Amino acid sequence: MSSGHIVKSFDEELARVQNAIVEMGGIAETQLEAAVRSLAERNTELALKTIEGDKAVDALEHRIDDMAIKMLALRSPVADDLRIVISGLKIASLLERVADYAANISKRVIALNSAPAIAPISSIPRMGELVRRMIADTLTAYSNADAALAYDVWARDQEVDQLYNSMFRELLTFMMEDPRSITSCTHLIFMAKNIERIGDHMTNIAEIIIYQVTGDMPKEPRPKGDKTSVTMIDPKEG
Amino acid sequence: MQMQAETNLMSDADMAEEIVIETQDVNVFYGDNHALRGVSLDIPKHQVMALIGPSGCGKSTYLRCLNRMNDTVEGCRVVGKILLDGIDIYGPQVDEVLLRARVGMVFQKPNPFPKSIYDNVAYGPRIHGLAANKDELDEIVLSSLEKAGLLKEVQDRLHSSGTGLSGGQQQRLCIARALAVRPEIILMDEPCSALDPIATAKVEELIDELKENYTIIIVTHSMQQAARVSQRTAFFHLGEIVETGPTEQIFTSPIDERTQGYITGRFG
Repeated sequence: MSSGHIVKSFDEELARVQNAIVEMGGIAETQLEAAVRSLAERNTELALKTIEGDKAVDALEHRIDDMAIKMLALRSPVADDLRIVISGLKIASLLERVADYAANISKRVIALNSAPAIAPISSIPRMGELVRRMIADTLTAYSNADAALAYDVWARDQEVDQLYNSMFRELLTFMMEDPRSITSCTHLIFMAKNIERIGDHMTNIAEIIIYQVTGDMPKEPRPKGDKTSVTMIDPKEG
Repeated sequence: MQMQAETNLMSDADMAEEIVIETQDVNVFYGDNHALRGVSLDIPKHQVMALIGPSGCGKSTYLRCLNRMNDTVEGCRVVGKILLDGIDIYGPQVDEVLLRARVGMVFQKPNPFPKSIYDNVAYGPRIHGLAANKDELDEIVLSSLEKAGLLKEVQDRLHSSGTGLSGGQQQRLCIARALAVRPEIILMDEPCSALDPIATAKVEELIDELKENYTIIIVTHSMQQAARVSQRTAFFHLGEIVETGPTEQIFTSPIDERTQGYITGRFG
């Protein structure tokens, strides 16, 4: 709806929730970008800064929760207003997890940097960039109430899953060839898994945006491409 | 004229529902004023239907068509079909006094007669000759007060004046009075707007219980009340029905922009 509420302060409160979501998403996106860059650059200082940055995201989540609870109690929102408030609560919780994953990647970067560089990390920056773009587009879809863009993000998660599958196999093979790399490779698998999970969360947020804008969830089943949980590699083949 | 939106959240229960009142293309004129424009609405049996919309939108006019209360308004003309159990209530054979017994009404302001509590409830059954003797009349009065959730509060003072009760009790007395003539349908025109929140909650709880045996159509200006008490909601605007559907759908994902604008407080 383009026209505002008769009670203008209601519009202001809704706008405040939406602005806080965009701000939170922006920080989460930066956190992921910094975490991946700290891996590529073997930059422990940047990794430490990224871990520290998680606090701002946690604080924003609390602020959004407070605002949403207050609006539910005092405004009794309905229809699209209700969808904005409920979506705000759910998206804030997912973005908080996204930032947690970025902080976890940074912790693993610090661990990796304590040993010599050994394993291939090539796919992680690619996955990271793919998912960072998903976050950016998700936030644009949210800001512009653009369900079509949200659908686009929703469908894009499969590319991330495919990249993750191939990286998982690559790292398993690498570990078989050189058992000294197991510690580092395990950290890399967890990092890749974290990024893949962030992609999943963007799929969730895209669904929430579609619901907020249209009042309906996507009808089709969610695209799923992560096959690592059923992947086995025969050492003789490796 | 925009098409009326009908939402499609049909559950199995909805599919099986029986329609008790069918209104087809109803138009109402007060002199030259075209107050209701082509309203078609089905009222399912033993459910609560809420009618919402800004003042002057036609919801009370529509309600008053259902028991021919508009007949008493000079210059009022009703065109179209209103079928109660398949029979046109504006047909030549219909006795409007009997109709109003089948389709009872509760008003905005509690309006007990200046008589005792007992006589308020006994009034209708006496007129319609529903009781053969004093015992039967006692039975009707007590069971009606019981159904209206008022008996416990008044059983030791049935012969004191009905107007001495609190506002909420008076409204439940009016509901008991409506129930005493064994209606099938109860029309409620803003029944809680003069009541405090506790009395309102009691009436809403009563509405919830009554829907087991009666069909209830309620006009309300309180969005929350419509959301709390009804299973279906119809939104009226400028004499038309803009949208009707399951209450849950209307309050989470209305289809029409005007419905959305009204329930979210964007226009009045």
